[in-house]
Amino acid sequence: MASLLSSNTNVSSSFVRFSPSSHSQLLPSSLRETLPLPSSVRRRRGPFASRAVLQWNRKPQLAGETPRVVVITSGKGGVGKTTTTANIGLSLARLGFSVVAIDADVGLRNLDLLLGLENRVNYTAVEVLNGDCRLDQALVRDRRWPSLELLCISKPRSKLPLSFGSKAIIWIVDALRSRDAAPGPPDFVLIDCPAGIDAGFITAIAPANEAVLVTTPDITALRDADRVTGLLECDGIKDIKMIVNRIRTDLIRGEDMMSVLDVQEMLGLPLIGVIPEDSEVIKSTNRGHPLVLNQPPALAGLAFEQAAWRLVEQDSMTAVMLEEEPKKRGFFSFFGG
Amino acid sequence: MSSISNALSFIPFQSVNHHVIPPSLLLRAGNAANIEVLWFRKCRLSWSSQKACVFRVKAVGDSINSTGSEQVEDGAPVDFAAKASDSDRRVGALRVMIISLPSFVALVKRNAGSKYAMGIYIASTFVVIVARLILSRCKIQNKHGSVAELVRRGQLRSDRRGISNPLKYEDPFNNPQVKIEKNKSKVEMCGKVYRLAPVTLTQEEQLIHQRRRSRAYQWKRPTFFLKEGDPVPPGVDPDTVRWIPDNHPFASTATELDESLAQSNVFQKDGVPFRVRAEHEALQKKLENIQTSKTEMGIKQNNVPERERSAEPSTGPYDKVEPNPSPDHGNHNLDSSGNR
Ligand SMILES: Nc1ncnc2c1ncn2[C@@H]1O[C@H](COP(=O)(O)OP(=O)(O)OP(=O)(O)O)[C@@H](O)[C@H]1O
Ligand SMILES: [Mg+2]
Repeated sequence: MASLLSSNTNVSSSFVRFSPSSHSQLLPSSLRETLPLPSSVRRRRGPFASRAVLQWNRKPQLAGETPRVVVITSGKGGVGKTTTTANIGLSLARLGFSVVAIDADVGLRNLDLLLGLENRVNYTAVEVLNGDCRLDQALVRDRRWPSLELLCISKPRSKLPLSFGSKAIIWIVDALRSRDAAPGPPDFVLIDCPAGIDAGFITAIAPANEAVLVTTPDITALRDADRVTGLLECDGIKDIKMIVNRIRTDLIRGEDMMSVLDVQEMLGLPLIGVIPEDSEVIKSTNRGHPLVLNQPPALAGLAFEQAAWRLVEQDSMTAVMLEEEPKKRGFFSFFGG
Repeated sequence: MSSISNALSFIPFQSVNHHVIPPSLLLRAGNAANIEVLWFRKCRLSWSSQKACVFRVKAVGDSINSTGSEQVEDGAPVDFAAKASDSDRRVGALRVMIISLPSFVALVKRNAGSKYAMGIYIASTFVVIVARLILSRCKIQNKHGSVAELVRRGQLRSDRRGISNPLKYEDPFNNPQVKIEKNKSKVEMCGKVYRLAPVTLTQEEQLIHQRRRSRAYQWKRPTFFLKEGDPVPPGVDPDTVRWIPDNHPFASTATELDESLAQSNVFQKDGVPFRVRAEHEALQKKLENIQTSKTEMGIKQNNVPERERSAEPSTGPYDKVEPNPSPDHGNHNLDSSGNR
């Protein structure tokens, strides 16, 4: 929730990395609409794009080179990487971008569950490597938003060939980049990273150019997050943005929880989203129906949508929400208005 | 429960312990007596200290609720009966006060102003109540029985309903659910208002953090995975080796697949996948072998009687498989069994 403010409405953020399309960031949104887009943005869309865009009157400006390979990582487990991947992935698909979400959690995959696609995964990357199927056959297309495709690395009990190290996932991303069949190369490749910093992490970050660090506002998650950020930077991934998940404004007000600004002070990373603790997250996990599809929208769903928007524009938050104001009941609220 | 009520009802009676009446006298009074108890205790408000009396009244009330007539055996109500005659005059005083109350109200009224003003007050209150009733009724009518109700109950999925109209936002930062105040000090989301604080992180601070981390964590991403105990192959920098324990999901049993083959599998864009083709070719080879051995056999057995040779076409199944299947054919089969 906190998320709220994005510089894109009128002022360009100081964190915006200059990219071919970033000149348009300085323009008011109404003007941007009519401007010819830079060539990197004017891309051929798949046949489904027109359906996916319907929800929005305005589209975010895609900044940076495509496909953008983003790894979603955290260090500590259970902070919401998979939830973030599913919701941001679906938000991006709804904005009309073609997205491939890769579940790189080898031992404990669950992105397919969150997307409600668990019954449709017949082939995984391991079968592709073995030559049992082609890569395009291992990609599961979401029927709700066909511009979202899911690729799982392996089935629960099958094992990834050790000797290839992290090369396998680099090949996969390269193959997607050079794809010339129907949807063309994807705009975004989102990689859901496993917890920890062992082989699974090393594999997941190998093809990435940028990272989204998910953390919760507690000291254990923050220490792991700092470590992981350090490793990513050592590996040459300098474009790291963070999402602070499971914020409770009631606890922040009572000084029982670190505020988002405290978190930022400790990590020194630009923010793309602040996600409130929301029981709807758990419900949507149970339904296999990502939160951003909820109608009416849930608080956390709105926050994920905003985060996806900022990710597209390579933007970051300029203001964060701290605490809830006590609700003022106006005179007319008496009438039920 | 009864022990609590005992304790509570005990306190108020301590002061009047000297009046004792046999319990039998009270038993006939039953619950009616209990109500009188309450009324009578209230009278005592006038002479006891305020706080203590509130407690006493409450205590007796509790005992009535929880224990009912059981209380009679406590011996406490006994005290009350004795006390009744004693404080008759206090009751009288209270009655006088109640009687004098209406005149006091009239006095207030007279001071409030004209009767017209009063009339307007009453009429406007009435109008407000009626308006509220009408509004709430409209709301209920809107909600009840519509398909939206089915969605709310989880019978229908709003996103999968053909007739549902998609939500149309201007953008995620400015729509009916999200409103940011002009000066960016507050935001309203889903009907709740939150205070906003500006982000103060600067580019310099980001760089300072980056430098701190690069000092603290020096790391090189391992590019070689080896099973624990395996020898390091020649020409490999031991710093770039990651040792994988035996039980790790990556530690697969030795793969017969070589690296370039796996890579070409990943990059294969169309046609039959490698292993499927390999298996198919192996099968085909086997069939050909069988076929050739068959024909050889046939040549050898050229001198078999006519009737046996006429039965030969019935070994047809091989003929059907033999014509080398086009890649398209295999491809089609795979597509239908793929993830789509
Ligand atoms: N904002 C939130 N509000 C409430 N619950 C949440 C929120 N975010 C995540 N959760 C819950 O936390 C749990 C863990 O989330 P998730 O699986 O996304 O974490 P993860 O980082 O992917 O875990 P792992 O490290 O095991 O892969 C889930 O049950 C999810 O419902
Ligand atoms: Mg996960």
